[in-house]
Amino acid sequence: MTEFLFNWLVNVPAFAVPFALAALGLILSERAGVLNLGAEGFMLAGALAGIGVTINGGPPLAALAGAMLAGMAMGLVFAFLTASLRINHVIAGLALVFFADALTRYIASYAGWTNQAIKGLEPIFLGQDLVVWATPLICLGCVLLLNRTRFGLALRAVGENPAAADAAGIDVTTMRILAILLGTALIGLAGGYLTVAVSKIWTGSVVGGRGWIAIALVIFARWHPWRAVLGAILFGCIEALIPRIAATGADVPRYFLQMPPYLATLAVMIWSATRSSGGGAQPAALGLHHIREDRD
Amino acid sequence: MSSGNATEQITPLEGAGIRSETAPAPSRHKLRLVPLLEVRQNVPETQRLACYAASLAVAAAISFALLALSGVAPSDVMREIATVAFSSPRALGSVLAQTAPLVMAGLATAIAFRSNFWNIGLEGQMILGAIFASVVAIYDVGPEPARLVLMAVAAMAGGMLWVSVPAMLKQRLGVSEVITTLLLNYVAFNLLLHLLYGPWKDPVSSFPHTEQYEAFERLPLLGWLNLTWTLPLAALLAGLLWWLLSYSRIGYLLDMTSSNREMARAVGVPVAGLTVAAILASGAVGGLTGFSIAAGVEFRMTQDFFAGYLFSGVLIAFLGRNHPAGVVIVAFFMAILLLVGQSLQIFFQVPSALVQLVQAIFIICVAASEFFLTYRMHWRAAT
Amino acid sequence: MMPNALRLRNVSKSFGTFKALDNVDFSVRAGEVHALLGENGAGKSTLMNIACGLYAPDEGHVEVDGEAVSMSDARDAANKGIGMVHQHFKLVPAFTVLENIVLFNPGRQAAEIASQAQDLAGKMGFDLDLSRRTGSLGIAEQQRLEILKVLVAGARFVILDEPTAVLSDQEARALMTIIRGLAASGSAVIMVTHKLHEALGHSDRITVMRGGKRIAETSPGEMDAAKLTTLIVGEQIVETPAPSAVIGKTRVRLSSVRVPGRSGRKGLEGIDFRVRGGEIYGVAGVAGNGQNELADVLMGTAEQTGGSIEFEGHGDISTLPPGGRRKAGFAAIPVDRYRHGLAGRRSVAENYAVNGVLSGSYGGWLRFNRGQARKQTQKAIQAFDVQGVRGTGMRAGLLSGGNAQKLVIAREFETMPEVVLAHSPSRGLDVRAGAAVHERLRAARDSGAAVILISEDLDEIFLLSDRIGVLSGGRMVAEFEAPANRNDVGKAMISHE
Repeated sequence: MTEFLFNWLVNVPAFAVPFALAALGLILSERAGVLNLGAEGFMLAGALAGIGVTINGGPPLAALAGAMLAGMAMGLVFAFLTASLRINHVIAGLALVFFADALTRYIASYAGWTNQAIKGLEPIFLGQDLVVWATPLICLGCVLLLNRTRFGLALRAVGENPAAADAAGIDVTTMRILAILLGTALIGLAGGYLTVAVSKIWTGSVVGGRGWIAIALVIFARWHPWRAVLGAILFGCIEALIPRIAATGADVPRYFLQMPPYLATLAVMIWSATRSSGGGAQPAALGLHHIREDRD
Repeated sequence: MSSGNATEQITPLEGAGIRSETAPAPSRHKLRLVPLLEVRQNVPETQRLACYAASLAVAAAISFALLALSGVAPSDVMREIATVAFSSPRALGSVLAQTAPLVMAGLATAIAFRSNFWNIGLEGQMILGAIFASVVAIYDVGPEPARLVLMAVAAMAGGMLWVSVPAMLKQRLGVSEVITTLLLNYVAFNLLLHLLYGPWKDPVSSFPHTEQYEAFERLPLLGWLNLTWTLPLAALLAGLLWWLLSYSRIGYLLDMTSSNREMARAVGVPVAGLTVAAILASGAVGGLTGFSIAAGVEFRMTQDFFAGYLFSGVLIAFLGRNHPAGVVIVAFFMAILLLVGQSLQIFFQVPSALVQLVQAIFIICVAASEFFLTYRMHWRAAT
Repeated sequence: MMPNALRLRNVSKSFGTFKALDNVDFSVRAGEVHALLGENGAGKSTLMNIACGLYAPDEGHVEVDGEAVSMSDARDAANKGIGMVHQHFKLVPAFTVLENIVLFNPGRQAAEIASQAQDLAGKMGFDLDLSRRTGSLGIAEQQRLEILKVLVAGARFVILDEPTAVLSDQEARALMTIIRGLAASGSAVIMVTHKLHEALGHSDRITVMRGGKRIAETSPGEMDAAKLTTLIVGEQIVETPAPSAVIGKTRVRLSSVRVPGRSGRKGLEGIDFRVRGGEIYGVAGVAGNGQNELADVLMGTAEQTGGSIEFEGHGDISTLPPGGRRKAGFAAIPVDRYRHGLAGRRSVAENYAVNGVLSGSYGGWLRFNRGQARKQTQKAIQAFDVQGVRGTGMRAGLLSGGNAQKLVIAREFETMPEVVLAHSPSRGLDVRAGAAVHERLRAARDSGAAVILISEDLDEIFLLSDRIGVLSGGRMVAEFEAPANRNDVGKAMISHE
């Protein structure tokens, strides 16, 4: 039993980190008022870049940096659509996921990166790798950035009341582009971590809906970084449990074992919605476009 | 202009020339151009069409460029299109056969989108529909002559069941349907795998698909171009929905509800009932789509009979402007695209993801073109 | 050149084909209060948005202290000493008071800003807690925060856009004292308003605009209300009260009606009143005291947790859905015609036809006779004088405010209603359109309907009402027979704070 517990808990961080990083990235862009449904796509871009860099001889850290850049490159497309062209955020997010899904599979099969195992990121301390140890710091960085800097103040103002931010001389479009780029860098990193540290192989389904779960996590965390990390740990626990249960040889149908993360996400969303005064935490201008156009 | 006693009356007496004399342009400021956006009030239909056509042209150009990069020259593509779609009645037949389920997928998505419900769960609803239909087929429910109808009804029930959870969560608790419908795809997929690798594994071949449906459990042949009854079924659905959405009270009330829900509610439109009905209809058509592929193409339930229909459905609904007629037209071209993609995959070894990549490019270009319909942009010197 | 002054020189601005400003000249000097008067759509706000850098003029330019300046946003304007207090406050409700001030003053230490804000607030007599959440402040306090915000940013030219529109009479008087104090301390104040008495009583200069042009520049000493009205409207439109001739029996009776409050706001805490046929019952009150909840509970779109609403001949209709109430003879002119009254993206005909569709005039569930609907709409448009309709297929969102309101009224009065709810029916309309709306309400009353008029504009309440109820803190705290004393009503409005 203790061995089961140990094997389970030691695996939790690796499963929790992608959720945590993706949720933090989402929070950064959503606090600026950008409804970001593209998480799955940015993670895919990061995941493929991580594999690509590694296969071409890059060290794991370079692979992770590549993943961030790939996330940001996708983020740039998303930012152009939502912040500059002011396309409906839902349509833009979905289009981005479709696009990233197709593009990554296209590139992977062209370059022949599919099903090539890599060595990947190694543990550095207590059986955990660098990114695991860095994640709390990244979260702290997000908290400080949002709450302790002028940049964060401006970013939150854009997400709460773009007209007020505009009247205070803040360029709403630029601010949102920056928030998306920062956020997608983290989401890309989350995807890169999946391939470089967890699966160590590319398949088209490597992200497997984790981007969508991260979006639900953000709602669950009411757009607060620390709570998002806690939620990520919860989901890490659930996911880490699956291989452990399978390893015990218990007679649970194999494919039913794959369902808990998705069902838990549904449960979490229902729970978030039923709590009283649920509206207070969401950035007031989430998903809304701003245009200076109130003629009298 | 009216008068007041000692009031200074202003008349627009200064011309442009005088103004520039009295107000020399500030010279220490560098001329800097800033974009200014203005919301368009009214866009004529012709301009809408032109903008739409232009975005399609841009998307096509990008797609051709991409293909060229993959080693397929535009002339090759054109030749493939001609061969695949129009070289023979048989070719046209396979295009139409592919069009039918796409029409259904597009309709399912369009009904939901038109009611402001982002149903991204088409694949889950297709799977549930096919599972329900397969229950009827595998366990021999009902008399043989009625079997096919029972399967269709069961499929609609399955699709409705699967969409009813997100619908209820949205209506009651305001939970975002984008995420719930999408997550349920994964749940449905795992359920499907469980069945296909478990209780429903083909006893004959031991492959992970159901046993073949009996002859009377398949959609019969039409006797023309090798087509099955899927095509008339899709056409019937499209016609029915066209009527309902455009010429009936239901469609009118649905349009009013989706353009201003609060107003519709205040004037007595039963908004909740209408919206739920539309969402359930979307699920039912989704289930029927799954059924039509299982019973009309594969004659069994396979692991991936639904694959790609979610994206295609969204694209068809979006490009077809959520209108049944638009859906039919776009679905036809989408069928050609899919078949050309398959053929290019065989003859030019392009990756299978190419078709979806082209689809995504079309969505992005058309979505981006909305900008030019919504806003007018000026460049102006910042002075 | 004039020292220490802000001047807009020969400014023009168009939106599409609409000329919002046509060669307008305007200036303000240190130490004076300059009132800018005009109707909605006269171009006041556009002019001020140019003055504070939010819009760039098509022609003309802005001068500060005699020098032409270039501004591309509010930041530039603030650097030039220009600060604007918008009618819709530009505050972030989720931020603290201090955070809102800091946001507006980048590049300076928060501590320094806090001490300066504290200082200025003391001088102005503001009692503001810098650590409070802005959303929890009252309207008048938020306005003071806005003023403080621009003063901390170093504004010498302070523009206030319709500053008293959202205030009670008492709060408005307090604001006028603040404004005089600002001018006395050397600031130049521009007060945009459409209230004559504010311009006449509290300004040093008055500029009148109409149709995007400057019509006159004058001083309060040379003007009186009648002359000013003529300048503003271009003709004499004076509405006079016309009390009801025949008052019938009770048509609506609300007893202890309760509605839960939402998002921190109070709801209705037991409302009692009755309205008889042939009378207009005015509901006065400061905004946010339950007006929206009262309107919603009457329309049937609010969650009613107690009490009863009785319609004559229909009993308690509390549980009837909106459609059922309308069948019982209820009609509503909701507060925001574009949000609650019309579906802007749908056509004029579709918006008009909704009653007929629901009652089956245009076919059953499987039919919608568009041709018939268009014909009926065409008739109604003429009967109710809805202007600017290029065709019944035109989107309703393209109608001007007054015509949109007329379309709503045409639909609501299609069959003569027995109970009418009108919520701020002339808000945002020019004098002429407002008078036309009032005429319709009086006509409904005179034909025997019970009319409930909810309005935050006391002038409108006094002009129309046969009886006045005062709504405060979610309760009806007082009731007056017309003609009532304005001071008494005003006192009752703030009695429940």
